Amino acid sequence: MTTKIPVTVLTGFLGSGKTTLLNRILSENHGKRIAVIENEYGEIGVDNDLVIGAEEEIFEMNNGCICCTVRGDLIRILGNLMKRRDRFDYIIIETTGMADPGPVAQTFFTDDEIKNALYLDGIVTLVDAKHVVEHFNDSDEVKQQIAFADVILLNKTDLVSSSALDALEARIHTMNAVARIFRTQDANIAMNHILDLGGFDLDRALAVDPQFLEPEYPFEWSGCYPLEAGAYALVLDSGPDPAMNIWISALSDTSAGSMHTAINTAVLAFSSNKLIMQSGNTLYPDNLLYQLQLYAPPLLFPIEIKKSGVYALFTEHHPDEFSAYLKNSDGNRLHPVTSHEYKPDHEHDDEVISIGITTPGELDLDRFQVWLRELLSTKGPDIFRMKGILNFREMPERYIFQGVHMLFDGRPDRPWGNEPRKNTLIFIGRNLDRNELNTGFSACLD
Amino acid sequence: MFGLDPPYFRKNALNEQWCLSVEEHIIDIAWSPDAERLAAITAEGRIFLINVQSNTATDKQIGYHAHGGNSVSWNSDGTRLATSGQDGRIQIWDGLSGTLLYTLETKDNWVGRVAYHPKQPVLAFSAGRTLKCWRESEGIIYESSDHASTIADIGWHPDGAVVAVAAYNGLTLHTPVRQSNPHKLHWKGSSLLLAWSPDARYIATGEQDSTVHFWYVDTGMDAQMWGFDTKVLELSWHSSGRWLATGGGISISIWDCSGNGPAGRTPQTLSCHFNRITQLAYQPLGHYLVSTDVDRFLLLWEPEKHDKLVGATSLSAPASCVRWAPLGNNLVIGQFDGVIASFTPNSIYSDQDPRTDVVI
Repeated sequence: MTTKIPVTVLTGFLGSGKTTLLNRILSENHGKRIAVIENEYGEIGVDNDLVIGAEEEIFEMNNGCICCTVRGDLIRILGNLMKRRDRFDYIIIETTGMADPGPVAQTFFTDDEIKNALYLDGIVTLVDAKHVVEHFNDSDEVKQQIAFADVILLNKTDLVSSSALDALEARIHTMNAVARIFRTQDANIAMNHILDLGGFDLDRALAVDPQFLEPEYPFEWSGCYPLEAGAYALVLDSGPDPAMNIWISALSDTSAGSMHTAINTAVLAFSSNKLIMQSGNTLYPDNLLYQLQLYAPPLLFPIEIKKSGVYALFTEHHPDEFSAYLKNSDGNRLHPVTSHEYKPDHEHDDEVISIGITTPGELDLDRFQVWLRELLSTKGPDIFRMKGILNFREMPERYIFQGVHMLFDGRPDRPWGNEPRKNTLIFIGRNLDRNELNTGFSACLD
Repeated sequence: MFGLDPPYFRKNALNEQWCLSVEEHIIDIAWSPDAERLAAITAEGRIFLINVQSNTATDKQIGYHAHGGNSVSWNSDGTRLATSGQDGRIQIWDGLSGTLLYTLETKDNWVGRVAYHPKQPVLAFSAGRTLKCWRESEGIIYESSDHASTIADIGWHPDGAVVAVAAYNGLTLHTPVRQSNPHKLHWKGSSLLLAWSPDARYIATGEQDSTVHFWYVDTGMDAQMWGFDTKVLELSWHSSGRWLATGGGISISIWDCSGNGPAGRTPQTLSCHFNRITQLAYQPLGHYLVSTDVDRFLLLWEPEKHDKLVGATSLSAPASCVRWAPLGNNLVIGQFDGVIASFTPNSIYSDQDPRTDVVI
């Protein structure tokens, strides 16, 4: 069979610079013959005889589920283009400013004729750096366009201060942690950043910051202290919250391994019953979850250590927010030998977020399928995209997958070889529950 | 390779008559009513008129549609040929000389289908979302309101009373000659093509969601058939109206529509294709069924008699069009590579018991 032809989808609000970018792509000397499908009429000013105008036509299938929605206009026009495939070697689809990229992406998953002849190389979303923030609250489409993107161009950066750009980029990164973000003026971008991405460069897509891919924890901070038997105290000042959960536990040593064990116990402890403690009440390293009442600072909670050893302190909020520290009986401030910050789960439910899971362990195929099927059938509408590299038991190759809403496509990739075997997956969507995803996925591990 | 059953399979069941190439993907092809000419249109939009003799054929390009062609249709006496394309135009040609007579401009850039009335000089065509009808002496005589999407297919009732339109959300039946109100047959899905049964009891539709619908024309009720591998773009009725052959994957299903219809009946299955079927065509006034697939095979069946393959040949490229001549004595194949080839079924054996007359 002949090779599949790559397709790049350009999305972005009206005025974000799609046409500028398209003109740039078409006039650039990249040696490709490009066919263009345009849903936005009358804007193109390029000399290209394979520009096809088409009105967006959304086809819902019988059950009315958004996951089964495809783009009829694209099926018709791409199907026809395939009969002239010797005329071009790349296809670009420019959507309207208000387009939901979901049905576009789903078309490449569901229509066999298209799936066999073409592949979605990438979704490139242009963002008007100056005006996009105004649309975050009133437009689903802008959030969908960001959530679906493989590449995001923060365009018109000349109109915005660098601090505003930093804030915008950070916000977009929480929405879609796998997209590569570039800052551009006049949509000026190197072609190799937007075309021929390879469609499925998961290693790159999942090479995001390590804190991001950590599971969600019910605490934000932990510290590890070697303590002699004696009297200590936790000192706090006023902070942003009226109460804070903490948990103190003895460790066998200061190694990462024993800390790791403690983290797992702490996660369980943080969902157990809380003991309400007022300033002056004494705390013990007895694995109980304490809720410290923080009404009238300065606050002091004595801690009694009966046996010398290594102790871990887990706090619901970062101690710095309360100027909190541990002191010994001489009144000296103690510093932890190791400490760690955890990613908080404070996102609003309706916000688009990315949730990453990375964990060693071998997956059981059957359990994973059952879990994923259940997840997609209940949360499919809220999951915009997912990508992952999975480590199935007894499978010598990495298993790579991607999905859109309820649609899922995966295949074995190259062998693991010397690479450490692990599972990395990411969900981009809304109303997603980190703990639920973590728990569900972990249950599929042996 | 196919698990052939020698008593049934005949090596020379199909004789190639002639073969030519226009070197562009054939989008549509149609026989003139007298079977002496063929019209073909390519994906690039070139239009060819082909004169057919028994063992030879000569082609000439008569014109083109910019941006690609979509369909061709002959009028009932073969004096006119209509073509449509992505330039938003319909062109009407003299059926004998190939001279351009009329050009109809539409404001839509996608004129999907042209279809002449089976008896009268009325041309139906789809322009974007609307159906229009045109008469040479009067111009446009009918224009529908917008359908829910770009029209996917149109088809005249066998006696010409109604034009059925397939689009998103089902079928619409228009009566452009009598000019009465259109009648909708709703289906929450996207109908891709339609086929009237020769007795006009049914309209079968192939669907994007990998189903086939049988619409009972008199009641407007429908029966849905599912279990297809992929969207269904291949439908062909037996000339008796009793059987419908459907593709939508690698196996052919033959639905028995006699009596109360196909609902609840298990279809006959013909399975010798190993890749997606591209075309299905029952022989008019005969028993043969031709099927083609993306692996370039052309298979010949006699489903009324048995499920066995009766003939096979390999093409130079997959077939995009398979059209029997009106009397069923000749078959023309249009291919992805621009080849147009003609075959005749070797009829010497067709009415005899194959078991007593085997030629391997």
